[in-house]
Amino acid sequence: MAELKRINETTLEVPVGFKPGMHVRGLIYVDEHLARGIEAKCVEQVANVATLPGIVRASMAMPDIHSGYGFAIGGVAAFGLDDGIVSPGGVGYDINCGVRLLRSNLRQGDVEHRLRELAVALYHAVPSGVGSRGKIKLAQGQERKVYLKGARWTVEQGMGDETDLDHTESGGCLEGAAPELISAKASERGSAQIGTLGSGNHFLEVQRVDEIYDERAANAFGLFKGQVTVMIHCGSRGFGHQVCTDFLEVMHNAARKYGIELPDRELVCAPYRSPEAQDYLGAMRAAANYAWANRQCIMHWTREAFMQELKMSPNDLGMNLLYDVAHNVAKVEEHEVDGRNRELVVHRKGATRAFPPGHPELPAVYRKVGQPVLIPGDMGRASYVLVGTDEAMKQTWGSTCHGAGRVLSRHAAIKASKGRAIRRELEDKGIVVMSAGKRTLAEEISEAYKDVSDVVDVVSRAGISRKVARLRPMCVVKG
Amino acid sequence: MSYEYLDISGDAGVRATGGSLEEIFESAALGMYGLVTDLNGVRPENTVTVEATSRGTEGLLVAWLNELIFRMDTYGFIGGKVRVLDLGEHHIKAEVMGEEFDPERHERRLLLKAATYHDLKVEKRDGGWVAEVIFDI
Repeated sequence: MAELKRINETTLEVPVGFKPGMHVRGLIYVDEHLARGIEAKCVEQVANVATLPGIVRASMAMPDIHSGYGFAIGGVAAFGLDDGIVSPGGVGYDINCGVRLLRSNLRQGDVEHRLRELAVALYHAVPSGVGSRGKIKLAQGQERKVYLKGARWTVEQGMGDETDLDHTESGGCLEGAAPELISAKASERGSAQIGTLGSGNHFLEVQRVDEIYDERAANAFGLFKGQVTVMIHCGSRGFGHQVCTDFLEVMHNAARKYGIELPDRELVCAPYRSPEAQDYLGAMRAAANYAWANRQCIMHWTREAFMQELKMSPNDLGMNLLYDVAHNVAKVEEHEVDGRNRELVVHRKGATRAFPPGHPELPAVYRKVGQPVLIPGDMGRASYVLVGTDEAMKQTWGSTCHGAGRVLSRHAAIKASKGRAIRRELEDKGIVVMSAGKRTLAEEISEAYKDVSDVVDVVSRAGISRKVARLRPMCVVKG
Repeated sequence: MSYEYLDISGDAGVRATGGSLEEIFESAALGMYGLVTDLNGVRPENTVTVEATSRGTEGLLVAWLNELIFRMDTYGFIGGKVRVLDLGEHHIKAEVMGEEFDPERHERRLLLKAATYHDLKVEKRDGGWVAEVIFDI
């Protein structure tokens, strides 16, 4: 077995031959410090993806890499449309899990003394945790509209406006969703959960901007030091999971049918042009759209909670959507390969699209500076706003990291928090938390994650995105 | 027949052991419910019959647990007792006794979203059976 090779201070190579059948090398974006924490399983997963048919250039992983199902989380892989595949494992169970960030006209001092009230108001405004039910029950026939329209559906219900859509990746809607391919089960599971946050690492957080690294980009994004922002991290809930579960079965049969040999069952896939792959993409797009509709609902209720709690008008609050990014999705995109443009199906699983200045897919307001990239951290430390770069286009298909990346198991996190008053520790740092689950706080302690600052540092040194601002949590709502 | 929890980064897993395949399907289900809430608080108010199909025993275990997750996530149904009525290579039929999850009364632990094929095991060992399943949360 070949050895891992360091090719520069931020990149580790998994050479062809590391595992039999690799078509391309693996590239893991980690420095010496983060490399020490990488599980052997992750490296193997990066190598496994390199064995899939039609993979172009490299099987990549971002510095927040941790082991996932089939593909590592933090994985980026692009495949040719004629010779490549589509794999649900390259997207993940939580299709279009993503992040959105609201800016505001508020300053830290405007909310500091009201954090507890805000936490309670947000907790009640946005259903979260085990056993929570959505406030919206989709009527027969409405689901279809959600699958086809995404965030636009929510806006049509009177929750939000056109600017929100303009400030969402892909306008909050992927074309080519196929509602007819959604199983009755997925549909039923999804209809009761729209407008819910979920649980686990998903959250809603009131933050303050505590550092600006790039004045020009920060200005373009409407960010300033001391400003209050709100971050929402969640996905397509049980709906996306059911779609993934349904299609893993379909893809398992397809992989056999097309004679694709797989080192791991969770890597099941089908050739891009096969009906199975096209069906999956149609269903995946419906789930991606559901997720955007979901985040748009949650954002609307967040704005309402702020208005009621602070008794301020929408204009005074200025809570505009800065941007919304997907970090679990597969998309057909045009990229330059060996000097010519090629259409590729890019899988990002726990990786964020990070398009450079001038890219036609960016809204006009950001076209000069590049795409806002939103990186949530753990509840005790920080989150970041980055911006996409040309270098990301050259190296990583316009992709970067998506978060901190977990290092401790839930059990280990609970053990590490034994005898400690986690809520109190956070309060001492000025952070108010509300959570539905009794164990959630212990499971989600800061130490359970890599330090997001280390992760962001690597992508910034590698040039695949640039730091714009750091956000510190003030009030956290978790499931 | 028993279960224990696997310590893995990020998600959660269950190792079920038993004298027969039926037993590990039952204990894997109970172990799974135990991740969601304290089983002592679940009353056997309703009995539902659950069926699942797949190819092979491993696939069937995943399909079975995913069926239970579907019922939990969609109807809030949480089981406290499980009895396998019929188990073949491709099909399982079982009775689950439990009730609707009530956030006021039931402890809220993890929200499970899928049983996965990741490091999935169903093996005969020392005259009994052992299964390991990892859940996405």
